[in-house]
Amino acid sequence: MRLTLRALISHGRVARRMGLGPESRINMLRNILTGLVRHERIETTRVRADEVQFYAEKLIDYAKKGDTNEKSMKMADFWLTEKDLIPKLFKVLAPRFENQPSGYTRMARLPNRENLDRAAMAVIEYKGNPFPPLFPVKQDNELNLVNQLLKGYREEQAQLSATESKS
Amino acid sequence: MSLTGFVRFLRQSLQRLESDFIQAVGLDRSLGPALAVNGPSLLPQPNNSSEPSFLDSIFWMAVPKKRRTIEVNRCRRRNPNKMIKVKTNIEPCVQCGNLKLKHTLCGFCYEKIQKETSLIRRQIQNMEGRPLNTPAVETVVLYENETPGEADQGKRIVERSRKRPSWFNL
Repeated sequence: MRLTLRALISHGRVARRMGLGPESRINMLRNILTGLVRHERIETTRVRADEVQFYAEKLIDYAKKGDTNEKSMKMADFWLTEKDLIPKLFKVLAPRFENQPSGYTRMARLPNRENLDRAAMAVIEYKGNPFPPLFPVKQDNELNLVNQLLKGYREEQAQLSATESKS
Repeated sequence: MSLTGFVRFLRQSLQRLESDFIQAVGLDRSLGPALAVNGPSLLPQPNNSSEPSFLDSIFWMAVPKKRRTIEVNRCRRRNPNKMIKVKTNIEPCVQCGNLKLKHTLCGFCYEKIQKETSLIRRQIQNMEGRPLNTPAVETVVLYENETPGEADQGKRIVERSRKRPSWFNL
């Protein structure tokens, strides 16, 4: 027999509550999304970055339909509060992700903020931005002993094959 | 000493309030009918004068019976569920060697990237002039002695006056 109200238990509810209410949440996400489209890489709290990721990718999906599409233009007009980013969205970001079906954003976790609140931070960026990469590509160092030995071996083999082909 | 006196005063004032309330409502039977009747028809008088026993008092609150010894205190304070948990997800960063959490970016490496990004952004801001002036073209960052390649045609070029850092190769 159910002894408590369904409203008081939140088992399995996945929708996050942010700010003062649903409208406040949308406004907050709208501001963050505008910043993301302008700067292409931003640092916020982990929860906000997670929420904005969904909206950022949906915005690109709408932008891919083209700027003649009325729904896309309305969406861009609502979500981007700074109107000089609408041409940037349709002419720069949409063509950049033409060949990708999904996954236009990348989110990485950061160490906690240094303030008293020690908030869990994250950085979210659109892929293909002009800034230095967050995950630097591993470059093998040639000055390791193992790499030097392998290099010497490769050169020896090359010399042997050269002398063989001559004779 | 003053505490017991104060408690006694409170108890008496409450009893006085009680009797006043009873008289006001009319449940009081002390001013009963003129016919003097012996027996149990008269309700017993409220007892004001005698020393009230502690069991009648309503000020009976939960209180520790005994002093907790230091041994018992130590058991509670040093229980594992109160100690700080050991973290097993700390590892050294491959690039710089500072410690980082496994699922997180290295703070030192990210600081470097952030400083460079902010300098690039300052350059962009200077190029744009006024706020809300984003051009609808891609951007590419070129360092000293670098010329734009074929992939960089039609892009806005942001110039940084330093050597290309080793960790910024695309």
